[in-house]
Amino acid sequence: MNFPKPLQLSRRGVQFLVLALIVLTPILARYGNYLSARQLDQVLDRFEGSVQGAALEYTDQTIRFLAAPDVQRGDNQRRNDKEALLASRNLKGTTWSFEFFGVSLTDPLAALESAFASRSVRWVLILGILIPVALSILLGRFFCSWICPVGFGLELSGKLRSVLRFLEIKPGRARLWYGNKYVLLVLGLFLSLLFGVPFLGYLYPPALMGRELHNGVTVMFDRAEDGLLGFSAVGLTLAAWFLLLIAVVEILFGARLWCRSLCPGGAVYSLLGRFRVLRVVRSSDRCTKCGACAVACEMDLNPMIDKTGMECDNCGLCISSCNDDALHLRFASNDSPVAMAGRREGE
Amino acid sequence: MVEANEPLPRRKFLTRIGRTGVRVAAAGGLLYGVQSMFSRPPALRPVEEARMGILRPPGALAEESFLQACIRCELCAQACDTACIKLFGPWEGKLAGSPYIAAADRACNLCLQCTEVCPSGALGELFAKTEVRMGTAVVDERLCVSHNGTGACGACHTICPLRNKAITQGLFNKPTVHPEHCVGCGLCEEACIVHERKAIQVSSGRSWS
Repeated sequence: MNFPKPLQLSRRGVQFLVLALIVLTPILARYGNYLSARQLDQVLDRFEGSVQGAALEYTDQTIRFLAAPDVQRGDNQRRNDKEALLASRNLKGTTWSFEFFGVSLTDPLAALESAFASRSVRWVLILGILIPVALSILLGRFFCSWICPVGFGLELSGKLRSVLRFLEIKPGRARLWYGNKYVLLVLGLFLSLLFGVPFLGYLYPPALMGRELHNGVTVMFDRAEDGLLGFSAVGLTLAAWFLLLIAVVEILFGARLWCRSLCPGGAVYSLLGRFRVLRVVRSSDRCTKCGACAVACEMDLNPMIDKTGMECDNCGLCISSCNDDALHLRFASNDSPVAMAGRREGE
Repeated sequence: MVEANEPLPRRKFLTRIGRTGVRVAAAGGLLYGVQSMFSRPPALRPVEEARMGILRPPGALAEESFLQACIRCELCAQACDTACIKLFGPWEGKLAGSPYIAAADRACNLCLQCTEVCPSGALGELFAKTEVRMGTAVVDERLCVSHNGTGACGACHTICPLRNKAITQGLFNKPTVHPEHCVGCGLCEEACIVHERKAIQVSSGRSWS
């Protein structure tokens, strides 16, 4: 076990940032509500010493520090509430659909489902998926490895497998056919077409997680307004159980089982990234065929046979695990290995 | 796709499809079982709320196409200035996750942030507040204190953003709603001083499916 490589560190950083953002957005929304109702000071007094109060307090301080410094008028300072309110509106949504400083970012699966269910395509939908689709075509399943908050949670909960090993319980290495997720995707879209309901939106873990976090935070603040301060699990619903079930099954029976074989969103990103430009490329002359990459790969792929195809999510775990510096992220149109004997690290 | 080197025989492929079907069915059954284990009866809806229909955010398409187009993100609820947009819980079938407004609790102030933010087009773009048609306010003359002779109130007229157009006042502040101007924001319902059941309510004509 050595120190994590820069690639993995930055990936963890991005994942953590995304998770923090989708926890922050409902708090920001609440903050905006209180600010526009001119209730913030009263609310801060009332929530003193509770989780909700602390959340609002820190949000307030950060926003005032970043976007809305106090206005100096002669001798007295005035708070710049209008600017703070405008700033708090810049971040909205979850990974299912996010609005980042006016730029709409929608999950392609959401757009697909909406189009299938309503049997029509609206311009806003296309505008929303432009950036995610373009990035996925270039970078492949980067959403799954760099952004998806559930993927992050599952990777972290997968660390518990080593605890199982310590307890001398052998965690399973179950495999399901990769194609299951495409079947699930087609089935879900067909059901959407048939019943006019975004069926996969109720099954797709990142969407569920965003909804759960939104509901949880909202209910926490609602209860705080009634005087019930502190954490509450009341806002969590069936979806939380479902996410927990996935995590437990993966810990016991196989790491990243859902992402590999069942996730309908992963299927969409796989299909989009079929001809991606950024790939893990093996240098055939450096590789000693030790097999460390195949063990490290959470998608259960083997980089040594140069056939990762569209299932690879460019997470770079194989690159970090390689002891011979034989794997690199390169701009390439296919998986065939290259000779890199002449090059050295850093060139 | 597993052993990518060898071609997949048709029979094997079909077996796999069949097996997958069984697995998906099993997963669905499991999900249904878990749901019925944890499900609870939906919150009791007041009779009049059911009669008046679901109040959707401004700019919403017709109910059927709205439910089809809405992707159940939380953007409208997060963009809402007054936190009046709430989301249906997961026990409501088709409605689950879709936005609604409980006007008696907190009404829309027509900031129209939700129509700007909606990524799916389920809330169509609106350019003026007078274009909004969420529903129509209906006065219950037996309950309204100005109408039934127990007082002179005028709260709904005072708060109406289209005062003297959508709601006009008669003798003893008796309100009259003019449906051609009423946007259905529900501010009158929120302000109404009659409680338990409001004397003025917004009827949206959207049935609970």
